[in-house]
Amino acid sequence: MDIIVCLKQVVDPELPQTEFAIEPATGRQVREGRPLVISTYDENALEVALQLKDRGGGKVTVLTLGPQAVISDAFRLALAMGADEMVVVDDPRGPDRLGGEKAAILAAAIRRIGRFDLVLTGCESADWTERVVAPVLAEALSAACVTFVSRVEAADGTLMVRRMADEGFHRVEVRLPAVLSVASDESNRPRLPKLKDILAAKRKPVHVWPVADMPAAPGDLAAGVEVREVVIPQRTTRCEFLEGESAEQAAALAQRLRDLKLL
Amino acid sequence: MAPTREVFWNIPRLGVVIMYLLAFAAVAVCGYGVYQHYRTWRRGKPASRLTPVGPRLRAVVVHVLAHGRLLADRVAGIYHAALFWGFVFLFAGTLVVFVHQDLGLRIMQGPFYLYFQSAALDLMGLAAAVGVAAALVVRYGLGSPRLRRGILSDALVLWLFEGILVTGFLVEGLRIAGTRDPWGPWSPVGYGISGLIDAAAISEATIRLGHAGLWWLHFLLAMVFIAYIPFSKLFHLVLAPANVYLQPLVNPAAPGRIDFDKAERFGAAALGDLTWKDLFDLDVCTECGRCTAVCPATATGKPLSPMHVILDLREEMKRTGTGAAPGRVLAGDVIAPEALWACTTCMACMEACPVFIEHVPKIVEMRRHLVMEVAQMPDTMEDALRSLEARTHPFRGAGISRAAWAEGLAVKKLPRGDRAEWLLWVGCAAALHERNHATLRALVRVLDAAGMDVAILGDEETCTGDPARQMGNEYLFQTFARQNIETLDRYGVRKIVTLCPHCYNTFRHAYPELGGHYEVWHHTQVLARLVDEGRLALTGSAAATITFHDPCYLGRHNGEYDAPRHILQALPGARTREMAQSRQKSFCCGAGGGLYWMEDRTGQRINHVRTDHAVATGAEIVATACPFCTLMLEDGVKARGTSIRPMDVAELLERSLRGEHH
Repeated sequence: MDIIVCLKQVVDPELPQTEFAIEPATGRQVREGRPLVISTYDENALEVALQLKDRGGGKVTVLTLGPQAVISDAFRLALAMGADEMVVVDDPRGPDRLGGEKAAILAAAIRRIGRFDLVLTGCESADWTERVVAPVLAEALSAACVTFVSRVEAADGTLMVRRMADEGFHRVEVRLPAVLSVASDESNRPRLPKLKDILAAKRKPVHVWPVADMPAAPGDLAAGVEVREVVIPQRTTRCEFLEGESAEQAAALAQRLRDLKLL
Repeated sequence: MAPTREVFWNIPRLGVVIMYLLAFAAVAVCGYGVYQHYRTWRRGKPASRLTPVGPRLRAVVVHVLAHGRLLADRVAGIYHAALFWGFVFLFAGTLVVFVHQDLGLRIMQGPFYLYFQSAALDLMGLAAAVGVAAALVVRYGLGSPRLRRGILSDALVLWLFEGILVTGFLVEGLRIAGTRDPWGPWSPVGYGISGLIDAAAISEATIRLGHAGLWWLHFLLAMVFIAYIPFSKLFHLVLAPANVYLQPLVNPAAPGRIDFDKAERFGAAALGDLTWKDLFDLDVCTECGRCTAVCPATATGKPLSPMHVILDLREEMKRTGTGAAPGRVLAGDVIAPEALWACTTCMACMEACPVFIEHVPKIVEMRRHLVMEVAQMPDTMEDALRSLEARTHPFRGAGISRAAWAEGLAVKKLPRGDRAEWLLWVGCAAALHERNHATLRALVRVLDAAGMDVAILGDEETCTGDPARQMGNEYLFQTFARQNIETLDRYGVRKIVTLCPHCYNTFRHAYPELGGHYEVWHHTQVLARLVDEGRLALTGSAAATITFHDPCYLGRHNGEYDAPRHILQALPGARTREMAQSRQKSFCCGAGGGLYWMEDRTGQRINHVRTDHAVATGAEIVATACPFCTLMLEDGVKARGTSIRPMDVAELLERSLRGEHH
């Protein structure tokens, strides 16, 4: 099975809050001087792809979109983990584009890669959390789509997948080609690469394609969304004292919690 | 007539011939056994341990002749010394007989015969007999908890010893009685026995018969002893002094270097990936159990016993011989990975080992295999290493930035263009944990008060790579080391002071191998010197009872026990109390070897137990000199709900400087 995994580079989501900053003029997140990592669930998606390859063979290509200059060492990790090659769509504006727009560019890149049976993405990115790339990609590629997939098993030309649900999960059979967005699960904890794979990753092919070479994306997929303002939420705490005897306080507390829909 | 004796009294010429034949046979069996071992050691990789000769010989004098480490266990040390020196004298006596009889150099006569060959040998033989008896009593009478292993083979060896000594004395007594030896009283034990024989009025024929029988028994036991050496723990008679000589003279905890441009295998998968010295170590072990008795992992119920690591490896070496039988994977088949991951690399085992076996480097070599070849390690440790790669520190989820602690302090920063004589290397455990910010700020104030010119790297500081190294990812360690050396050299850093013993150890021992040469000081060393030079006005009362917890990487790894104590003693009004396990015998806080990042779920938590040790002194403050120790003890104090306060030495010093009462 030939699998393409879309990886997004984000500012380390575990960075201390004090390091998180937004440029007031542009509304873009400040990336300079911050550690850049592969977005959390994207690593789970890669792990799923590698497990499918381990079991059934095939090829795993990782695809990313962003300024080529900064997409470097961190993404060697993906090759070290076992991806066969990497395609970087060199796009200085990449980090600032919205999901739909990105999906359209990624779809063009995937068409250029050519053969694929399966495209995997993380279920949501660690920065914008839009959750739209997978469905828009599926639409653009005319492929089946399942989101929030926790487990995948290849079964004779189709896939049996678990889709996370509010209570329990759905079992879904998917025909190929398909686009799945992957959630984290104990079965897809990203593997630790072996040192010989880390060393070998330095010799694996990395293709850099300028974003300008991607055929213009169909406008309607990305249209209709515009970012007006980006702010860092202010966390405030408020303390409220409940009056009365213990029993009255307990009753009042229960009522307050119900009002807040916490009970 | 000059005092002497007939060597082969009562032994016919044919008997003497048979004796020589049997002696050759025994020596041949011994030689064959030694050669078999030698062939297995040769499976190991090279290691150079023969020079420098001077300090190595000095170590042999201290730890073999003077029983340095053996005496750490007073009782065992004394009875071992008795039987050791007893047998050394008796062996020397046998050599004298050899020279006298076989080489024909008549040395066994005159005063030498009386003072040495008779009196000294008799008394030393008696000492040996008492020593062996004590060893038997400790094992089988008192049931020493650490001497549980090899309890049957120990019995064999000890009774063999005792048999040789007792028959020797009996033979001597019978000879003195049978020959009416005029010099008999010079051999007090034998003379005493001859007195008993005289008193019993035994006939001369019976004396001769008894003498001949016991002479042969004595001789045969001695030959069994010689032949048995390479096949039993007796081998340590030869190997232990050799191993003392071959010990690592500097930085004993360090695993072997890996040159990643050339290496094809990373770490120890099989015995052949260890050095010959590592394999030699395995045969040296006498199963005395001192290592396991002091291991904090063993003490808290973890699945690690350093002695059994050595013995299980030895079993594998025996099984595979010179490599004909297929070897098993060390980490997994021979040693449980859980055991390897329970080691805090605290060096208690190596410090306790009287024969200088190197447990820790072997454990790290096997970890290297797990991490770099198999890519398997505890999840939380893996997270730490991923964090290290992604954000240059191993503290996943740390909610503060590296330079936050210095806010509001006028500290020079090299990246801003400041220059200073000293670099203060902060270390991640101090910079990224708020508890340690107080220590850092205190340290900076003290250094400032003493007029020291210090700068920090701020956001350009990264991990030294040490956690990666201890966990077994040498590659990641070297990546960090090279980057840091590049940064330090770019700013022309020459002198480094750090409050993290792990960083200190890394700069001091690991960076020079990679081309980073700096003058490195631990903050307690700098502070002790400032106190000595009178550069700090310690005016404020620090009246409190303080106990000091030795950080392993400051103490056992680098031999610095005095600097922090020196500071504490200089605090006006402070009283210090030692924990039962302190200095060389200090008990780890549980964080070393990368175990800060492992969930300590099995058995008791090491830091809780160490907190109990501190509480037991009755001290109000447990002082330490390592940001990891501080965090671990803080956690222990919370868990135990006690009132003892963990504080860094620098904090205490600063309070006394400001005159604060606490």
